[in-house]
Amino acid sequence: MSAEAIHDAKSYSGVSGMQHEEPLLFEHAHEQATSINLPGVHGEIPAELSPFMRASAAGIPGLSEGEAVRHFVRLSQWNHSIETGFYPLGSCTMKYNPRVNEQAVRLPGLAHLHPDQPEDTVQGALQLLYELQEWLGEISGLPHVTLQPAAGAHGELVGIMMIRAWHDMRGDIKRRTVLVPDSAHGTNPASAALAGMNTVELKSGDNGRIDLDVLKAHLNDEVAALMLTNPNTTGMFESDIAEICRLVHDAGGLVYGDGANLNALVGVARPGDMGIDCLHINVHKTFSTPHGGGGPGAGPVAVNDKLAAFLPLPCLEKDGDSIRIIHHNDHSIGNVFGSIGQTGVLLRAAAYIAAFGRQHLHRIAEDAVLNANYMLARLKDAYHVPFPGLCKHECLLTDEWQERHGVKTLDIAKRLIDLGFHPMTVYFPLIVHGAMLIEPTESESRATIDRFCNAMLEIAKACAAGDTELLHQAPLMPIRRRLDETLAARKPVLVWPG
Amino acid sequence: MRFLPHTDTDRHAMLERIGADNIRDLFSDIPSEFHLQAGSLNLPDALHEAGIMRKFTQAAEANRHAGNTRCFLGGGTYHHFIPAVVDYVISRGEFLTAYTPYQPEIAQGTLQTLFEFQTMIARLLGMEVANASMYDAATGVTEAALMARRITRRKKVLTTTSVNSRYRDVTRNYLSRLDGEFAEIVCAGFATDLDAVIAAMDNSTACVIVQYPDFYGSIYDLQPLRDACDASGALMVVAFSDATSFGLISPPGDFGADMVVGSGQALGIPMGFGGPHIGLFACRQKHVRQMPGRVCGMTEDRDGKRGFVLTLSTREQHIRREKATSNICSNQGLMCTANATYLSLMGDAGLATIARHSAAALATLIHDLPEGVETAKGPRLHETVLSFADQDTRERFLKLARDNNIFAGIPLEQFEPARTPRHLLVATTEMTEAADISDYLLALKEACHVC
Repeated sequence: MSAEAIHDAKSYSGVSGMQHEEPLLFEHAHEQATSINLPGVHGEIPAELSPFMRASAAGIPGLSEGEAVRHFVRLSQWNHSIETGFYPLGSCTMKYNPRVNEQAVRLPGLAHLHPDQPEDTVQGALQLLYELQEWLGEISGLPHVTLQPAAGAHGELVGIMMIRAWHDMRGDIKRRTVLVPDSAHGTNPASAALAGMNTVELKSGDNGRIDLDVLKAHLNDEVAALMLTNPNTTGMFESDIAEICRLVHDAGGLVYGDGANLNALVGVARPGDMGIDCLHINVHKTFSTPHGGGGPGAGPVAVNDKLAAFLPLPCLEKDGDSIRIIHHNDHSIGNVFGSIGQTGVLLRAAAYIAAFGRQHLHRIAEDAVLNANYMLARLKDAYHVPFPGLCKHECLLTDEWQERHGVKTLDIAKRLIDLGFHPMTVYFPLIVHGAMLIEPTESESRATIDRFCNAMLEIAKACAAGDTELLHQAPLMPIRRRLDETLAARKPVLVWPG
Repeated sequence: MRFLPHTDTDRHAMLERIGADNIRDLFSDIPSEFHLQAGSLNLPDALHEAGIMRKFTQAAEANRHAGNTRCFLGGGTYHHFIPAVVDYVISRGEFLTAYTPYQPEIAQGTLQTLFEFQTMIARLLGMEVANASMYDAATGVTEAALMARRITRRKKVLTTTSVNSRYRDVTRNYLSRLDGEFAEIVCAGFATDLDAVIAAMDNSTACVIVQYPDFYGSIYDLQPLRDACDASGALMVVAFSDATSFGLISPPGDFGADMVVGSGQALGIPMGFGGPHIGLFACRQKHVRQMPGRVCGMTEDRDGKRGFVLTLSTREQHIRREKATSNICSNQGLMCTANATYLSLMGDAGLATIARHSAAALATLIHDLPEGVETAKGPRLHETVLSFADQDTRERFLKLARDNNIFAGIPLEQFEPARTPRHLLVATTEMTEAADISDYLLALKEACHVC
């Protein structure tokens, strides 16, 4: 048989040369297996339930255990992941997720606790959580911490609610404006709006940083807060941070810190020392809890003394040797989540901090910043750098030089897939045309970073040579090529119609 | 440090390439007064891996857990059986350590799983579509209220006290910062008074939120609510706390609910002291553009092959910023994978069995209650309220039960502080064995006979 014929031959198993197609669960067409053996009481159920029984089955396919395992293992192999390769997504801090953390949170004495068990039967878990609160307070320089927010955006909402409560308690109820730089994450304005605030966008200066004159022009007695990401989303530190905080405070506002980029500072400097009043911490970024294909995360919020009284409920309080769960206090912003928090995620973060400890924590930021600056040094002659100078834990490039050859950021991203890498964050921040934001975390070896840089340089060289066909076609290697997102959005098919 | 690959040789070579003398020079853009001396934070000494396991094992062993007790606790979190395969699948690094699938060509595993998840959740709840999850049931209910306000352009949200108080607390809290009304109709007894809820509806009502089965476990006919919603133009939002129930009883979608939202924790996720769990969110196809959160859709690639992408992103904060339908960005991704794996192992038949065993266990328990303990009346699946003559009897029972390794129920005032402290919220699942029930009843009889 010729090579072409082999290539075209139908695969009998759906697998050909380790490349497999995998049908949807609903296409595994056979009668439902009855292999699942379930425990429990095999008694009668009350007759009064009969009017409420399902008229017909839901249509949930039941597979035998082996079939189910094979289905999901095959699907898993269509994913890029941090365990299979470099993940240089800017602003996402995709670092190695230690396996011991997975083992620790699966201990039955942590995994199988009911949230409403008597307090004295969960002291072990509460001690770990309380300790984590203290550590996050120390690391951020903001000593009062809630672990409750379920994600970064949730933390932003909680933080803005607290800031609003602070103004309200002082009788300053006209402060309903939140200033948000145009480089900020989109969740910032969305969270402020959900807290009932108006947002005003601050235009960044030509250097990608906050323009003090623009800030001054927007400060007035209606401003509740400035939401600030530092280092900002261009990867640069806001060196005027002390002055920025002073200006906002003098105008009667507070400063909210978006902690998405804390990986640049951890152990090296503390947002609380700089004048930030309130900071959320994405533990699924800085503290290595796995992203899980989109979540779960956790977004603890750390605040200074001004805001301590407003922390959400329930909160943890030390009472002698025990930790108590407090459900009521006078000034709290109230409940924002159905439990004390995403405990399993938080405990992984605690294990991570414990592994670095006092001696090593600063090395996270040091190596992350080293990696980003090294990458910038290697790529700056091949790609346009919109804001030259030191970067922190991520570096920002654009497609300005490649666009002259008809190649856009999206093409570069897709070509990287064929060259064996997950793309960087693309088209963010919005203030830069054709942005490519690259974050090589401290988990990455010099060899990996060099290989990635080599791939980027090869792409730039191909562009310069006019050899751009592969860039427009990419990706050619993965199980699927470029997907039609317009089609998906125009006529949304969100469930299998079969 | 075992998580850091660089040697000092690497660091020096890299610094040389950058043109810096030492790493701290790379932080010179941070004003020097903010620099911390290395090692100066008040944190404990670094732990090696064995030390971490020792620390966590000690903490875990200080707790009592559902694995070595008999757990009759519910109220939104349930101790159901979890097949080993579920944890295996979500432990695979390709699912566990993947990012949000923004580059669909190399994330089809997560995306197809999400599509399967959405399909199965929609089917289980009897709805047209489901999204790719919310944080939890409480924030999911809140998002449903906000969505109803957007769709109807009305501002009053109506609910009732037979909805889990935590769902109401969060919803009330979010809505309190936006203009509009949040009205909670008080239900007497431990059931849903639908007549009272319907009487409170008017043409400014954006939605009515009820829970089914309600917080006290009661099941009731939802049809009158559908009729009332049709008459007033309000949307019908139905919350739930144990998704396995709908393997047996008709789901809210069969009654014409506009949104169905609740917890998917029961579908293969450990109780985990409050999380991570998952919020399930289902609605009608015509409302998808007002839906919060991420959603996965089917499409084609350049070669015409079927594939999946995150879609309808024009609703979301990274495009719409302050005008987004929600601020939610991270979802509970891995928990969707857990739910999908669990459902594929159970199938319709397994789910029905789970709901049936859970209900049979409660029926067995209630059948032999001693005198002096009353159970709420009316149809119930696997959760109910037991009422004692007084707090002393209840506390005596709780202690006897604990001494016999039973967590016998949640004092109702933990959810509803105004309650007289003589009620227990009690739940059974397929993990409840006949012997657990006999032991439970023995403790109950002993506690009651003293009085």
